[in-house]
Amino acid sequence: MSEATAKRHMGLKASRAVTNTAIHILLIVISIIWLIPFVCIVLQSFRVENSGQVGYVLPKVWGTDNYSNLFQTDFPRWYTNTFVAALITAVLQTVIVLCMSYTLSRFRFKMRQPLMRFMLILGMFPGMLTMIILYRVLKDLGMTQANATPGLILVYIASSGMGYYVSKGFFDTIPTSLDEAARIDGATRAQILYKIILPLSKPIVIYTILTAFMGPWGDYVFARYIAFGASAGKNVAVGLYDWLSKDQISNNYTMFCAGGVLVALPVTVLFMFLQKYYVEGVTGGAVKG
Amino acid sequence: MAQLSDLEYLKLSKGKKFGYRLGHFFTGIPKGIGRFFLKIWEGLKKCGAAVGREAADIVNTFVHGDWKTKLSYLVMGFGCLARGQILRGILFLLFEVVFIGYMILSGGYWLSMLPSLGKTGPSKEYNELLDVYVTKYNDNSFQILLYGVLTIFFIIAFIYTWRLNIRQNKIAEKILASGKKLKSGKEDLRSIVDDQFHKTLLALPMTGIIVFTLLPILFMVLVAFTNYDGTHNGYTNSLFTWVGLDNFNTMLSWSGGAGGTQSYAATFGEVLLWTLIWAFFATFTNYFLGMFVAMAINKKGIRFKKGWRTILVLTIAIPQFISLLYVSKMFAKNGIINGFLMDMGWITQAIDFFGDASRPWLARITVIVINIWIGIPYLMLITTGILMNIPADLYESAKIDGASGWKQYTKITLPYMLFVTGPYLLTSFTGNMNNFNVIYLLTGGAPTNAAASSASGSVGYTDLLITWLFKITTGAESQYYMASVIGILVFVVVALVSLIVYNVMPSTRNEEDFR
Amino acid sequence: MKKFLAIVLAVMMALSMMSFATAESMTYDVKIWVAEAAKELTQKQVEAFNAENNGVITFNATIEAVSESDAATQMITDVEAGGDIFCFAQDQFARLVQAGALSRLGTKATETVIANNDAGTVAAATSGDALYAYPLTADNGYFMYYDKSVIPEEDVDSLEKLIADCEKAQKYFAFEQQSSAWYLASFFFATGCVSEWTTDDEGNFISVHDTFNSPEGLIAVKGMKKLVDSPYHLSAGGADQFQQNAAILVSGTWDFAKVQEYLGDNMGVTDLPSFEVDGKEYHLGSFNGCKLMGVKPQVDEVKGAAIHKLAQYLTGAKCQMERFEALAWGPSNKEDQASEKVQANAGLAALIAQAPYSVPQGQIHGSWWDIAKVIGDDVKAAKDDAGLQAALDNYYDKIASLFKLDNNALLFVGAWNGWNNADEADTYYLKDGVVTLEVPESDYMGGRIVKPGDWGTDKGFAQVTEGKELVKDLGEENPDNNIVFAEAGNYTVTWDGTAITIKKN
Repeated sequence: MSEATAKRHMGLKASRAVTNTAIHILLIVISIIWLIPFVCIVLQSFRVENSGQVGYVLPKVWGTDNYSNLFQTDFPRWYTNTFVAALITAVLQTVIVLCMSYTLSRFRFKMRQPLMRFMLILGMFPGMLTMIILYRVLKDLGMTQANATPGLILVYIASSGMGYYVSKGFFDTIPTSLDEAARIDGATRAQILYKIILPLSKPIVIYTILTAFMGPWGDYVFARYIAFGASAGKNVAVGLYDWLSKDQISNNYTMFCAGGVLVALPVTVLFMFLQKYYVEGVTGGAVKG
Repeated sequence: MAQLSDLEYLKLSKGKKFGYRLGHFFTGIPKGIGRFFLKIWEGLKKCGAAVGREAADIVNTFVHGDWKTKLSYLVMGFGCLARGQILRGILFLLFEVVFIGYMILSGGYWLSMLPSLGKTGPSKEYNELLDVYVTKYNDNSFQILLYGVLTIFFIIAFIYTWRLNIRQNKIAEKILASGKKLKSGKEDLRSIVDDQFHKTLLALPMTGIIVFTLLPILFMVLVAFTNYDGTHNGYTNSLFTWVGLDNFNTMLSWSGGAGGTQSYAATFGEVLLWTLIWAFFATFTNYFLGMFVAMAINKKGIRFKKGWRTILVLTIAIPQFISLLYVSKMFAKNGIINGFLMDMGWITQAIDFFGDASRPWLARITVIVINIWIGIPYLMLITTGILMNIPADLYESAKIDGASGWKQYTKITLPYMLFVTGPYLLTSFTGNMNNFNVIYLLTGGAPTNAAASSASGSVGYTDLLITWLFKITTGAESQYYMASVIGILVFVVVALVSLIVYNVMPSTRNEEDFR
Repeated sequence: MKKFLAIVLAVMMALSMMSFATAESMTYDVKIWVAEAAKELTQKQVEAFNAENNGVITFNATIEAVSESDAATQMITDVEAGGDIFCFAQDQFARLVQAGALSRLGTKATETVIANNDAGTVAAATSGDALYAYPLTADNGYFMYYDKSVIPEEDVDSLEKLIADCEKAQKYFAFEQQSSAWYLASFFFATGCVSEWTTDDEGNFISVHDTFNSPEGLIAVKGMKKLVDSPYHLSAGGADQFQQNAAILVSGTWDFAKVQEYLGDNMGVTDLPSFEVDGKEYHLGSFNGCKLMGVKPQVDEVKGAAIHKLAQYLTGAKCQMERFEALAWGPSNKEDQASEKVQANAGLAALIAQAPYSVPQGQIHGSWWDIAKVIGDDVKAAKDDAGLQAALDNYYDKIASLFKLDNNALLFVGAWNGWNNADEADTYYLKDGVVTLEVPESDYMGGRIVKPGDWGTDKGFAQVTEGKELVKDLGEENPDNNIVFAEAGNYTVTWDGTAITIKKN
C-alpha cells in the first residue's frame, strides 16, 4: 500500500467517523422525540397526587393507585371486549385474507380481473358513512349496544377480504413451479395450499395476524357508534376516550394514562417479538402487491 | 401535442418524459371521454346481445328439452333430482322454497314500499286516564330502503340461480346423450377442494364483502337521492323520501345559500384543495424522511441498529387514539411544547398552534409535521427491506466510478425505490386523503373557517373531506344526505387521482413480473 | 303520598279496563342515562321509588353513564334503542324534540312541573305550548374562578385589568371564546344583544329575533377582541386549567369542588367582570340554563305512564335535594331552592351574583351553537373594525339561512304567537308559491306573514299586496302586525317572489 492511498484511507475513515457520529447524534435526538409522548404517558399514569391534567411531567407522589382504580370501573370489561375481539379477528381475518389473496394470486379464472377491479373501486368509497347502515344491520342481528363486541368482530372480519393486496403481493413472489410439481404428483389445490404454500408464507401470515390483532384496539368512531349508550359493549378506545370528556377529565385523566399503558402493552410486546416477520411481510408484500 | 415515435421518446430526458406523458394524459382527456362513451355504448350493445342470447337459449332449452328439463323451469332442481344428482337438486329446490317464502312473507312488502319509502309517519295520542302521551310508530323509511335493496339483491341472485338451473339441465342432457355419466354428489364435493377450489376460497370473503361493504355503499349512494336527515329520520319523526338530484344541485351550484352564505361548492373546493395538499405533503414528507432514517440506520458503522428500529416501531404498536390525543395536548397553548420553547427563551409568548384562524397555515403545517412523527416508522420499516434488496454490486461499481454519496442516491437508490414503491405511493396518497384519525384526534379540524361553516356543521382549516363529512353527519342538522353526496364526490376525486397517477407513473407494474 | 295513591289507582284501573297485562307485568326494565357522577345515587333513588310503590310498580333499572352534553347525539343515533329516561343539557332540547326522542308530558304532569319548578327551567323544557321534559337542575350558568395569589381583589371587576394581571404574571385567562357559543355569548349579552327563538309544539323553529349584528354587537366583539388577542387567553375550560398555569377560569358550579381542591384558600369566586369600549363599561352577561330529564316516547300506555311517574319522582323535591347534597347540583325545584343549605352554597352564591346580568337560555336552534361558535375564531382573525363587522355579517347570513327561505318561499304562520286558539296552530311554507286555507269562522287564523329576509322585523299585514280587505290588521294591539281572516271561507294565498296575494275562492 502506497503512502498516498493509506492517507486517503485515513481521510476516508476520519470523514466516515464524523458522519457516523453525526448520524448517531441524530438518531438519539429522533429517538428522544419519538419517545417523549410515551414516557410522559407512562409517568402520568403513576401520578397519584392529582387525577387531572397538570402542567408538569414528573409525578410528585408516585404510586400505582391509577392502575388499581381501573379495576373499580368498567375497564376490565372493555379490555376483555377488545382483547376477545382482537383475538378472534386475528384468527378469522387471517384465514379470510389468506383465502382471498391466495386465490387471486394463484388461480386464473374468468372473473379474476373484474373481481380485483371491483374491489379496487369499492375501496375508493369512504367507509365512514356506511357505519349508519352497518349499525342497522347489526341491530337487526341483535349485535349492538351491550352486545356490540360480536357485531364489531363480524364487521371487521366480513370486510377484511378487501385487504388482500399485501399478502397477494407476497404470494406472487413464490414460484408457481412448486404448485405445478405438486399438481403432477396428484395433490389437490387445497393440499397445495396448506402443505406447500403456507409453510413458505410464515412472514406474511404473522404480518396479517399482527395487523388484524392491532386493528380492534384503535377503533374508535365505528365502535362508539355501535356501542352507543351501553358501557358493557364499549371497547377500550371508546371507554378511555369518554374519560377525556369535559365532565370527566379532571377526575379520570391519570386513569386514562394508566389504561393507555395497559392497552399498549400486549401490542408492544407482540411487536417486539415478531418485528422481524412484520418487516419481512411488509417488504415482501406491500411493495410488490 | 406532437406524437413522438418510440425512439424519439426514449431520447428525452427524464423530466421531459414525464412532461410528455402528463401532457398526453391531459390532451387525451377529450378523446378519452369520447372513448368512454363509445365503450359504454358498445357495452350496452354487448349486454343487449347477451341478454338476447340468453333468452334464446332459455327458450331453446325448453323447446328441445325433455319433460324433466321442462318441469325444472317451474320446480328448480327437479331435473337434477330426476337424474340422480340429489345434492345439487336439493340445493336448487331449497333456494327456490326460501326465495318464494321470503317474497311472500316480507320481500313483496318491502318492494312495494320502495318507490315511496313509506306512507304514514308516527302519530301521538293522549291517554287521559293515565295522563300520558303514547306514540304509535308506523312505516320506517330506513328499513324500507335497506330491505328493499336487499330484496332486489335477492331477486337478482334468484334469477341467476334459476338460469344456472336451466343450464345445468341442458348440460346434463348433453352429457347423458353422449353416453357419459353425470357427476355424483361425491365428485361434486371433491371439486369443491380441487378444480372449483377458488370458488370455495372466495365464497366466504365475497359474501362478507357484498353484505358488509357493497350493500352499505350502495345504500349510502341511494341516501344521496333522499332527504334523510335529523328532522326526517324515517321513523320517530318524519319519513324521508326520494328527492331526485336536489342534493347534487345544492352541492354543485356556485350560488350561495339564502342570505349570501358561501355555497357548498365553494366550501367543497376549499376543503378539497387542502385535502390534496395534505395528501401530497403527508405522503412525500413521510416517504423521503422515512427513507432517510432507514438509510441512516442501515449505514455501515451505525451501532444498535435493532435498538433504533425498535424505538421507532413502538409508535406503531401504540394505538393512535392514545398517542395522538396526548400529542394534541402537548401542542396546546399551555402545553409542554410551548412551555419548553418559552423556558428556552426562543419565544416570549405561547404559540396558538391550532386556535389561530388568522394563521391557518400554522395549524396546517403543524399537522403535517406531527404526521411525520406518525408516518416515519412505517416508511422506515418498508424502505429498510427494499434498501437491502438493492444489489450491492451496483454501489460497488458506482464507487469505482467515483460517484459521490449523493450521486449514488439519485442515480441508484431513488430510481430503484420509486420503481418498486410506485404503487405503494399511490395507495398511500389516497389513504392520506381519507386519513380521518390524524385530523380528528389532533385538531378536530380547528381552527374554524368561519366563512365556510354553515348550519349543517362547522368547517375548519385543517378539515379533510372525510372529517367534514363526519361533522355533517354528527352536526345539529345531521344532514346524512349531504354527507352522502360528499362521500360520492370523494370517490370521484380518489378515482380521478388514481387514474391520473396510474397513467403518469413510471412503473406500471406487471403482475407476472415476479413469477 | 296522596299523589301516589292516585297514580297507583289510575294504573290499576287502566289495567283492569284494558286488560293489557296481569299484575306481575308491572315489573319493567328501564334504561336510565345519567351523568357518570350521578350513577350510584340514581340507582339508590330508583330503589327508593320501588320501595315507596310497595311492589305495585317495580323497575329493574339499567343505569348507564352518558354525558349530559352528549345525550342528544347518542339518542339521535337510534331513538328506539336509546335510554328510556335520559338527562341532557338544555341546549339539546330542540334537537331532541325534533328527532321525536322526547315524549310530551300529560296535562296533570305538566301542571305539577309548572307549579313546582323555577319558571326559567320550565320554559327551557317547553316548546310551543307543550312541556317535553322535567327540569333537573337550575345551575347551568357560568361565573369566574380566580387565583387570589395572582389576581388582586380590587381588579376582579375589570376585564382589562384582569388581562393585564394575567399577562404580567404570565398566567392564563381561561374562558372558552373560540370553541363554545355558550361562553362567547357573554360579550353580546353584556351590550344588550339578544337571540330569541320561537318554536311550535313539535319543536320546529318558526322565528327568531336576533340582534347580534348591530352597533351593540360591534361593541361586544371589540370587547371580545381584547381578550382573544391576549397571548394569555386560553380557550379552554375545566378545573384542571389551574394546574396548568391558569389564574382565571370562567366556568360553572360543576368545577367548584375541584377548583377548591387545587387553590384551597386562594380560591376566589365572583361574578364576571366588565369591559370598557369608548369609555363605557359593560358587565359581561351569561347564559342561565338548566339540565333536563326526558322520557323517550313509549308505545305501551301503562309502561309510559309508569316511566313518567319515575321521571317525575327522580326530579321531585326529595331527589333534587339528595343530588344537591351529594353532588352540589343546584336544584330547580322551588322548595329546594328556598332551603337554607342551598342558599348558603358558595358556588351557587356566585351564580346568584351573576344572575342580574344573565339571560334565561330559552329555546335556541340546534344549529345556532355551530354558527355562533365561529365568531370567536373570526374575531381573533379580524384585523380591524371592518373585519369585526364582517364576522358579524357572516354570522347574520348564516342565521338567516337557517330558515332556508329562498326567493320563492314565504312563511305563513297561523295562530302561534300567544294566540288563544292555539290548537289550530299551523305553519305554512309557501315554497311553491301557493297555499290554500280553509277558514271555518270569522276572525280566525291569527298569525303573521313573513317574507324572506324579513323574519326578524316582519311587517305582516303591511306586506299583503292584494286582498288586504279580506284580512284584518291587528297591528294596534300587537307590534308584530298579526292578521286574522275577517270571514269564514276558503282562501288561496299566493307568493310570486314580490307580491303577496290573498284571494277568496
